[in-house]
Amino acid sequence: MLLQLKGIQKRFGGVVALRDGNLSVNAGEVHLLMGENGAGKSTLMKIVAGMQVADDGEMLWKGQPARFRNPSEAARNGIAMVHQESLLAPHLSIAENIFLGREERLPLGWINRSKMVREASRLIEDHRFPLQADWRVDKLSPAGKQLVEICRAIQQGSSLLIFDEPTSSLSEAETKEVFRIVKALCTRGIGVIYITHRLEELRVIGDRVTVLRDGQTVHSGPLGELTTEQLIHHMVGREVAAIYQRNPLPPGEELLRVHNVTRAPALRDISFTLCAGEIVGMAGLVGAGRTELCRAIFGVDPIDSGQIWIEGKQVRVRSPREAVRAGVALIPEDRQKTGLATALPIAYNLTMASLPSVSRFGFLRLSSERSIAGEYTKKLRIKADSPKQRAGRLSGGNQQKVVIAKWLVRGARVFLFDEPTRGIDVGAKVEVFEVMDSLVRSGAAILMVSSEMSELLQVADRILVMRQGRITGELPGHTTQEQIMRYAAFDTSVTTTEEHPA
Amino acid sequence: MIQRLLPFFTLIALFIILAIASPNFLTSTNLSSVVRQTAVINIMALGMTLIIISGGIDLSVGSIVALGGLIGATAMEKKWGIPAGMAVGLLIGTACGFANGLMITSLRINPFIVTLGTMGIFRGLALIFSNGLPVHDIPPSFSYLGEGTLLGVPFVLWILLFCAVLMHVLLEHTRLGRYAFSIGSNPDAAFYAGVPVRFDTIAVYSIAGLLTGLAGMIEASRLMTGQPTGGQGYELQAIAAVVIGGGSLRGGEGSVLGTLVGAFIMGLLSNGSDLLGTNPYWQQVIIGAVIILAVSVDELRKRRMSS
Repeated sequence: MLLQLKGIQKRFGGVVALRDGNLSVNAGEVHLLMGENGAGKSTLMKIVAGMQVADDGEMLWKGQPARFRNPSEAARNGIAMVHQESLLAPHLSIAENIFLGREERLPLGWINRSKMVREASRLIEDHRFPLQADWRVDKLSPAGKQLVEICRAIQQGSSLLIFDEPTSSLSEAETKEVFRIVKALCTRGIGVIYITHRLEELRVIGDRVTVLRDGQTVHSGPLGELTTEQLIHHMVGREVAAIYQRNPLPPGEELLRVHNVTRAPALRDISFTLCAGEIVGMAGLVGAGRTELCRAIFGVDPIDSGQIWIEGKQVRVRSPREAVRAGVALIPEDRQKTGLATALPIAYNLTMASLPSVSRFGFLRLSSERSIAGEYTKKLRIKADSPKQRAGRLSGGNQQKVVIAKWLVRGARVFLFDEPTRGIDVGAKVEVFEVMDSLVRSGAAILMVSSEMSELLQVADRILVMRQGRITGELPGHTTQEQIMRYAAFDTSVTTTEEHPA
Repeated sequence: MIQRLLPFFTLIALFIILAIASPNFLTSTNLSSVVRQTAVINIMALGMTLIIISGGIDLSVGSIVALGGLIGATAMEKKWGIPAGMAVGLLIGTACGFANGLMITSLRINPFIVTLGTMGIFRGLALIFSNGLPVHDIPPSFSYLGEGTLLGVPFVLWILLFCAVLMHVLLEHTRLGRYAFSIGSNPDAAFYAGVPVRFDTIAVYSIAGLLTGLAGMIEASRLMTGQPTGGQGYELQAIAAVVIGGGSLRGGEGSVLGTLVGAFIMGLLSNGSDLLGTNPYWQQVIIGAVIILAVSVDELRKRRMSS
């Protein structure tokens, strides 16, 4: 037994993040840690890695009671974390990053660069990583950066590696590579804790699984005995099918027609239509071009060729401003970065896209802004003290509702939802789906990009599948995950000669 | 809330302390001179407030004060008359601001760098235009702008109040002001919401340029000279006034009232040191320390609010 956690508790102010965290990891196994957002996975791992200190509970490291006060203490004891977002120094070389803070020294404080490069190269060859010690880190893909973090951990002599959703930003090929490396680490007797949301990864990589829900360990055991349904049941605490169901509407007039839109190399010959009353799902793997498609329709990136019609009129959208004027709304994937002014009040965010209609001759009508803000915070059940509260202080789900409400205020009719449920909890997800449903009932059309196939199956009327910049399939809303995967992951077309994997 | 009003209380405390410490402080002559001394920085700082709220910065305003004042004074020297001379000065200021905004948005260079460049360019143009010589031959009645009195208070105070009210209305009650907050808080989110980011950024710098041109004319009127070397270091004082008053260099934060308070705190500090006979070298140390103190208190408040 490498690591054992018993009854770990942690609270932040009034919020209980962990009430009963239990976990045991053996040397040489991949232990999956699962649970919904906010279940306490990250907090538990931060406690193990010394980034946070538990309020109560017991931690045994290699059989001895342990309590790490900071990450370097945990690292000295052989625990390392590979982060979702890279914590490397981008302008330094791979070798320099591997040895960062523990440089090989010569007398007079000189750094033994050649020895560092030599050792880094040996490490890289030893594990057959596709890297070179003298490459600069900022030139690497996200996967490459993760490999560097893994190198760092191995060089430190770690016996436990924690991966926090390592594949969330990786392509399929890169994911396979990470899996191979994780397996290889295990055969050397290193224990691995692996946090993931992706159900399809589980069986490939995991040996045992621990599920957290609401800060408690609710299940722990070998993966083989568990069906996926049981696993989801542990995570959610109820049956998946019961999360959300909607009744489709008969589609109305055509609101968006995209014809042969190409933007090399991300998008090729994209054609589809959206009608009033429809929610059309867009499935595909990361990197298939779905976000790029939303950006192109919204005028963020110019298109090389092709035509777009909105509400029957052909338009040439050269900027988001023109898209907004034409009645298109984008709910972006990275909410904090492009969707929300977090330092400004909720009310400012709600009217940001509609100021011309709440102003006269350039002067704002603050009373009408106030009533709009009041109306929409109530309508979308945005939980806030007042519309004057800063948007950044809301929870993820409520922030997302503010982003959506911004476009309701604007009166947009064509909605592009890019990963609308990312980073929000189940309750808020259902509320977002309800808003989407009421939108199409009031005559809007929605394109919903999602990597969660189960969500698309629950919400969408039909599902388009993208692969390598093309639409490879159109499926009815009651299709299966296997069908979607067939179009998303495998070559189903005949003319494939010019296609190469990225 | 109490911490938010801290600059305001500081100003009042400073006022009371000086009133007790120096018999000459509460005289109309002295107070008028404080107002006249701070008016130029104050008016520049109003424009700087708008720029900083929109997430930008302008290092060239000190040079614009010189260039606007110089060319305005030259127009008067050429017997164009006072109104035309004033108009020329304001126009030059606006044009300089417009040029800053245009370069920032079309070259997509950081405003710090662009205005660092134009700080030198505008200064150099003023020196080239005047051959490095000040312009003196200005109609005597022009001195009313900077030195005159209306209804018992300095005329510049009326100008300052007028500009402050306009800027407050602009920031809190107009679309442009709201867009400035949006752009400053999150330029990407503003762009995705259809905010005319480019146009508004140019407008923001142009308006600040206009105010700076006005400040340049007031400076020329106070000195009765167009000085190609004038206004040096004013940009930093204007920026300091904004940040003491709660403006954030990260954008999206700031207010007219805060900026006025900030500028007057600096004005009182320097006036008080004069009255109390403090070594003028120490004045700079004190003002520098106040800037750091004010901003660190403000940061503390924000950190506590967000946690």
